[in-house]
Amino acid sequence: MVQSIVLSGLAVGCIYALIGITYNVMFSASRVFSFTAGALGMLGGVLGALFIDRLGMPVALGFPLALLGGVALGIITELIAVRPVLKSLDQHLYVLSTLALALMLQQFTAIEWGTDARPFPRLFDLPRGGFDQQFWLPMLACAAVIVGLELLYRHTLIGRAFQAIAEDTYAARALGLPERSLRMASYALAGAIGALAGFAGGEMLLAFFGNAPLLTFYGFVPVALGGMGSNRGAVVAGLLLGLFQQAANFLVGGIFASVAVFTVFIIVLLARPEGLAGAALQRRV
Amino acid sequence: MQMPAAGLHPGRVNVLGSMSTIGALPLLALFAFGVALPLFGGGYWGVIATRACVYWVLVSGLNLVVGFAGQIAIGWVALLTLGAYTASVLVAGNAAPQLPAYLALAIAGVVGAVFGLIVGLPALRLRTFYFAITTLGFATIVTQVALAWQSVTGGGVGVAGPVFPPPFSSEWGFYYFCFGFAAICTWMTGNVAASRFGRALTAIRDAEVAAEASGISKPALLVTVFLFSGAVAGIAGGLFATLQSYITPDAFTLDLSVLFFIAILIGGRSSILGPLLGTILLTVLPEFAAPLVAWSTFLYAALLLVIVLAIPGGIAELLDFKNRRPLASDRAIVPRPELLPRLLGTPADAGALTLEQVALSFGGVHAIDGLDLEIRPSQVHGLIGPNGSGKTTTLNVISGYYAQHRGAVRLNGMALPVFARERRAHLRIARTFQTPRVVGSASVLQNVMIGGTIDGKGTFVESLLSLPRHRRDEAKLRDTAMLALTAVGLERLAAVRADRLQHSELRFIEIARALMLRPAYLLLDEPAAGLSGEEIKRLGTFLLAIAAAGTGVLVVEHHPDLIFDICHHVTVLNLGKKLAAGTPAEIRSHREVVNAYLGG
Amino acid sequence: MPISAAEPLLEVAGLSTGYGKIGVLRGVDLTVGAAEVVALLGPNGAGKTTLLRAVSGLLPWSGRVRFAGRDLAGLGPRETAQAGLVHVIEGHRVFTQLAVHDNLLLAGYDLPRGERAARVEEVFVLFPEIAAKRHERAAALSGGQQQILAVAQGLVRRPRLLMLDEPSAGLSPVLVDRVLIVAQRLREAGTAVLLVEQLIEKALALADRIYALARGSIVLEAKAGEPDLPARLEQAYMATAPRAS
Repeated sequence: MVQSIVLSGLAVGCIYALIGITYNVMFSASRVFSFTAGALGMLGGVLGALFIDRLGMPVALGFPLALLGGVALGIITELIAVRPVLKSLDQHLYVLSTLALALMLQQFTAIEWGTDARPFPRLFDLPRGGFDQQFWLPMLACAAVIVGLELLYRHTLIGRAFQAIAEDTYAARALGLPERSLRMASYALAGAIGALAGFAGGEMLLAFFGNAPLLTFYGFVPVALGGMGSNRGAVVAGLLLGLFQQAANFLVGGIFASVAVFTVFIIVLLARPEGLAGAALQRRV
Repeated sequence: MQMPAAGLHPGRVNVLGSMSTIGALPLLALFAFGVALPLFGGGYWGVIATRACVYWVLVSGLNLVVGFAGQIAIGWVALLTLGAYTASVLVAGNAAPQLPAYLALAIAGVVGAVFGLIVGLPALRLRTFYFAITTLGFATIVTQVALAWQSVTGGGVGVAGPVFPPPFSSEWGFYYFCFGFAAICTWMTGNVAASRFGRALTAIRDAEVAAEASGISKPALLVTVFLFSGAVAGIAGGLFATLQSYITPDAFTLDLSVLFFIAILIGGRSSILGPLLGTILLTVLPEFAAPLVAWSTFLYAALLLVIVLAIPGGIAELLDFKNRRPLASDRAIVPRPELLPRLLGTPADAGALTLEQVALSFGGVHAIDGLDLEIRPSQVHGLIGPNGSGKTTTLNVISGYYAQHRGAVRLNGMALPVFARERRAHLRIARTFQTPRVVGSASVLQNVMIGGTIDGKGTFVESLLSLPRHRRDEAKLRDTAMLALTAVGLERLAAVRADRLQHSELRFIEIARALMLRPAYLLLDEPAAGLSGEEIKRLGTFLLAIAAAGTGVLVVEHHPDLIFDICHHVTVLNLGKKLAAGTPAEIRSHREVVNAYLGG
Repeated sequence: MPISAAEPLLEVAGLSTGYGKIGVLRGVDLTVGAAEVVALLGPNGAGKTTLLRAVSGLLPWSGRVRFAGRDLAGLGPRETAQAGLVHVIEGHRVFTQLAVHDNLLLAGYDLPRGERAARVEEVFVLFPEIAAKRHERAAALSGGQQQILAVAQGLVRRPRLLMLDEPSAGLSPVLVDRVLIVAQRLREAGTAVLLVEQLIEKALALADRIYALARGSIVLEAKAGEPDLPARLEQAYMATAPRAS
């Protein structure tokens, strides 16, 4: 029993961490938290089930197509919900524009895909049980993303340009970096990561439009606790969240697990609004 | 431009009064339509109209949170859920002895208020996205609890809604019951919107630091508003349960929350009529286009996106024809210093404002390093120095944005509390900002009235119910604000939206707002920045007149001409320390100052 | 140094700009000749930084700006940098989380890979003190070294005109000289420099010509060698009539 709690906790935690990273990648490029992070995760699952189960594509084709769908949605997010409002002085507009887009994605899915949670195909023809693929796939995806991002940031010029923009957008612009294309590329990358989270976690979460708000919330918890922009923080906090949630689920039941997660989230946010790692006070006057 | 005659009584110009009369006409028309509705429609339309009323009861309260205070509360359906289950469960007697429907409804309101406060409290510390996501999280949790707590809520099976005794048991009877609540909510929130509380909420939304400088306590105000908003949401929940006659967790989807939230934004911020129309529109629209029902939330979301990108002001701004009229382009600001004694009265001697050995460093860098300063009533004190010398930091320590690490700031010998920014206004210390902070969507007069918020005597409840003290407060504030506007020479623009003004005009509006406090001390942060030479001269004369009326004026400024023209005393800072102090003539011939200033 | 009056490298005419509604510059005229060092002086708040921001395309402006015979209207910082007009912003804002070497590579982001590497090496030859720390994070550099790195970033583009915004701010006197010597060397190499500087004496020693900016307009233009400049500058800054003293 302990084993299954730990396994499912870590697997769910990996999904939350990946959504957290999706938030972070978008945030680093634009200082915008986008509500579409959860919708991207939801779509990863729905697109996977659509391509592989309903349209009968092989995994080797359905998987890249699902990621491509995420990339496209990432770019759409940047183009219609972020770019137009970044210029505005009214800083909260992005909250509304990304919320609107996220709701549109969610509703579109509800109508075209249906409001029932549908099963996600088993990707590999392996026997069930024990350390099942539904557990190790999210973990593998999370590890792959962490390693991939690390390679990108450490060894490519575009990765360094992402870091430069995250650190000081103004200086990056003054230096002549193509800030807009880089931002778009970040959103495309975030789209792929979000879709990967939903795809890898498809078997656990199912292909369900209602996952969008859940992932939007539970994926943001690691960001808030781990410190915005910090991927390492998101992974640690995501795994802890997953374990805590599954353990509480088992020990005290679903209601109180949710209430407990929410309470912890609020208390930590109130005590440390900048996350457990790092704090920066902005000059207001 | 012609100067108005000196004998003018600007306080008599009741700009707001005339505006609210125009604004009230559509509301009265809607009211009449609502009363007469049973004459027109059949049964089904009655249900739709009742639903619109119930939604509006909730939205009217949420409007103060979202539309006025600017808090992005997207999970308000949670309070509807709580209210609905509270009322239903209490009437059904699942958890406690059965209660009558009216009492259950009242308790639903209390529960709503308590949880409104709980959901809202994070807004005191969290901004925009963080707050939005906490309300979303709360909504998710409440539904999960409703589903899981079967013994009380009936779980997925649900529970019957309360039934009210006659005359409210019939369909139209219940309609009038809900309509009554809706009408009262409209009236009450309209009263608040036109009160100093409504203006203070918009100030918190658009110009938070200016709100603090005007003595507005954000926590106290938001707590009040969350309580009110939660209470009406809880009552709306109870009514909703009756309307549905049977409730399950499925009835409270996030879609509903989105509807409430979007109704407000489509309607427009700082408006009552706009969100009311928005609510009616969003409730009725799907009935006209049955095939679109499934798509309704999608369309609402699309509408929200369009509004955010194209018309951030919502319906209310589209209908604001008055503010489309072009303004005269050759307007000049001609202050009338002679009105200042009337505006400022004869201030009691507040004593000197002193800094003693104040030190403050940021990450090892000494921003201010052992600074002594004395500012006296009736004097203009100039604070100059190169960039990074600590001028604005000094001002921010005095007004409570930074806490000094050492030393004290005293007013008449009494130490000013650190960080308590809104306390400054109560001590009659007013300030302006480097970049003018105004509520762009409010009129110029309303902006100035914000400055007098703390002089109001009535409570929030008195404003809700438009009791006499509230009305006296408003009349007095309006008169004083008009006088302040006339003194700075901007009375002609009283009714104009503040965001249509030029930069220099906004500077003078800030000064007018600060004067509403009848300040003992007025702190100005680079007031001449962005002004033309002529405007700087007028500003100088005006500041001298403010000092002559008894106020101590501290000017942080780059413009040496302004400083040397008007200051009685000048302090020069360099690297956080006092480099020199004296009369303008002494400073001008001070070699070290010239060097530091020129960077030689 | 002679100025080719017929064809200045940079020609700014009637430039006005500001932040939102706040007008900062009103009708600024200024020219910089090829291989000329021009110092832009003025009290703080005068609009010096704003002028550089406008010229390099970081801020929208109205008026006329021509660079090397090309109209800069509507161009962003990326295009102006590609045209050879490079702006080193104030406050040595290098990317502290990245290695020194990577900071320089980013400055040549749109160059071909081989070319980029070669330019970076070229710049390292000019600045041995940062070449020694090429693999360290820029956070590990001292303030002076960060400023040198910022200038070096500008040079990766091989600019025809380098605009330096207060390169001496916050540096010790020794480092100030070290940084300003770079400007001298640039002129010798044929690069024009537009220098915003608080230290008047240093600026006067280095520049061919100076402009003084106060209250959003040019209030003085002079050759650096002209007599009595400090007094005239003081007058121009303080907007006062000459005093007997």
